[in-house]
Amino acid sequence: MRILTPTRGGEASLPNQDRAIQIAKERGGELFFLYVTDVSFLDRMASPVLVDMETEIDEMGEFLLVMAQERAQKQGLQVQTLVRRGHFAEVLEAVIQEFEIDMLILGAPAEGALTTMEYLQDLAKRLAEAFGLEAVVLDRGEVAFTVRGEAKG
Amino acid sequence: MDRKVAWTQWVAWVSGALIALGALHTALFPSSAQASQGGAILTGRVLDVQGRPVDEAHISIWSADGLEPIAETESGEEGFWTLRLGELDAPELIIEIDRLHFQSLQLRLTESQTNRLLTGGGLDLPPLQLERKIDGAFWAASLIFLGVLAVIALERLHSTTAALAGLSAIFLVTFTAGSIDPDWFIFDFERALSYINWEVIFLVMGMMIIIAIIEGTGIFQWTTFQAYRLSRGRAWLLVLILMLLTALASALLDNFTTMLLMTPISLQIGMALGINPLAFIIPEVLASNVGGITTLIGTPTNILIGAYAGIGFQDFLVYQTPGVLLAMAGMAGYVLYHYREEWHKHPAGISKALYERLERNARLRDPAALWKSGLVFLLVMVGFVVGERFHVVPAVPALVGATILLVWLRPDVHAMIKAVDWTTLVFFMALFMVVGAVQEVGLISIIAGAMARLVGEQLVLGIALIVLGVGTLSTAIANIPLAASMLPVVEFLSGTVPGAHSKVLYYALSMGAAMGGNGLLIGGEANLVTAGIAEQAGTPISFREFMKVGLPVTYITLAAGFLWLVVRFVLMGG
Repeated sequence: MRILTPTRGGEASLPNQDRAIQIAKERGGELFFLYVTDVSFLDRMASPVLVDMETEIDEMGEFLLVMAQERAQKQGLQVQTLVRRGHFAEVLEAVIQEFEIDMLILGAPAEGALTTMEYLQDLAKRLAEAFGLEAVVLDRGEVAFTVRGEAKG
Repeated sequence: MDRKVAWTQWVAWVSGALIALGALHTALFPSSAQASQGGAILTGRVLDVQGRPVDEAHISIWSADGLEPIAETESGEEGFWTLRLGELDAPELIIEIDRLHFQSLQLRLTESQTNRLLTGGGLDLPPLQLERKIDGAFWAASLIFLGVLAVIALERLHSTTAALAGLSAIFLVTFTAGSIDPDWFIFDFERALSYINWEVIFLVMGMMIIIAIIEGTGIFQWTTFQAYRLSRGRAWLLVLILMLLTALASALLDNFTTMLLMTPISLQIGMALGINPLAFIIPEVLASNVGGITTLIGTPTNILIGAYAGIGFQDFLVYQTPGVLLAMAGMAGYVLYHYREEWHKHPAGISKALYERLERNARLRDPAALWKSGLVFLLVMVGFVVGERFHVVPAVPALVGATILLVWLRPDVHAMIKAVDWTTLVFFMALFMVVGAVQEVGLISIIAGAMARLVGEQLVLGIALIVLGVGTLSTAIANIPLAASMLPVVEFLSGTVPGAHSKVLYYALSMGAAMGGNGLLIGGEANLVTAGIAEQAGTPISFREFMKVGLPVTYITLAAGFLWLVVRFVLMGG
């Protein structure tokens, strides 16, 4: 079983990371932590972006995934890490297809974040139906929403 | 026959030579050529009610019963005009002055003045003042200008699009309603272009190329990592070093780029230490907004102010740095107090893997390019300082420096030209013209007049009004359009308030515009981009979280800046 958990690594995501690790251990699954680099927020800026921000954010993502990896190791689980660029939902679709993911675990947004819980639930539902996988939305480490799509083929 | 041909050729040569000499003489000595026409000369100057020169005013002189003007001319850039009258025989003479957006003025010359002109003498009239006219153009330009500010503040459109939309609306009014009724004519295209400050455009362009080369070397990330090592895990010391480092970087780059470079690595350090990373990056962004005040190139508003008021690199450094250091001290005190709980946390030890990753992310990426670009950057700074003595505008060293780097390092020119953010340059150009429109119709004069009445002759009040007023407005309004529209107001006040000739009010504008950006998350693009990057690390900065630190810091720093300007320019004298 392959489990995909996109994460950003902030304090709010730590309980969700722990829960994803726990689920992976319980189900004997292979856990993938994914960091999505999305610099579309820069499009709203009038000031010149002279810095290669995608590379900067990629490197930050790699660092945050090393932290998540160490967290899993401490709990006795080896995990894979991935950094991908692009729009969150599109990247998820691509990675689900590339790694033939069976379960998707999404974490609720941190307080003050732009993403909403409703958006994540809709996304989980859509992806579960599209790829026939199980999708879970966690909030502070607790399961807040779960949906199972019909297996394809 | 041959002699006839030779004679004709000789006449042709002499005629040609005489014509050429005549043309040369006329070109070299136009006044003497015209003076030889003889007749009376009438000169004068046109000013507005605030004593500022009025150019392009149409001046004509009439006899009391004449149907055609005797002579007419236009006032020049400084408001001066000259009428050459030739032979006069009219018993009564009337001067008429017409200028778009001003009320027409008629002046009957006195008998003695008329007699002087009738006898062919010269007459210099005292300056004539024109009253502003509140016409359709005034309302149209003012509403469009306020609309542009509102759209930028509410982020309904990209700033550049908003400024271009405002400019288009101004031309639309001018060339539709304005062609039917002159009261709706704001200004034509040529006049609009005259408001663009090309010095600013070229300085920004040159610096963008230089910064694009330097930022790729990794120097700022590397320095941040060294700060972390130096602090040995003491978070309170680290935040102070990071604030100082950010302020310094922001003085040399713009604060937006500074935060693009500093935020990702600072977030990583904060997380690695197990400390709320916002305790590092919010103080950093606050320091970046203030640090930029110390140099000409540190903030876009300083570039605008420097070009407009002729304030050089050295002037900013000398007159602003002590105030900024005072403000930074106040800011540091508040930040240490506000995040006091974070400093008491015992930092978690960083694992070897994390440390190595951090070190790798903060590596010097191109040491060869670093020393070359560092040297050129230093020479550009020297060029700014030395250039002031020889009236070389800062845009020149910036462009020369950028060219040297392009030749020396041979980067991909297409990539470098792409690094020049044309969106920003177009924003500046469109904004200059939109602000020019409200200057043209008199809105700025009205605001300047109201402020002058409020300030009277009290310089301290003027400084306070600009530092605190602009600072407060900048918390919510984009400071570039605000500073651009305040410049003519400050220019007027600098000419009327005793002691303000020292340009202290321009320094007050620089401080207010930059420090005010710290008040709210929406107060500056450096704040917004920092929040955007922080969100990418799962640590979003809420509006409230930012305001709790930013607003008190804003008023602490504004007070410090005000105090310094009063000490330096009022107590110590300009």
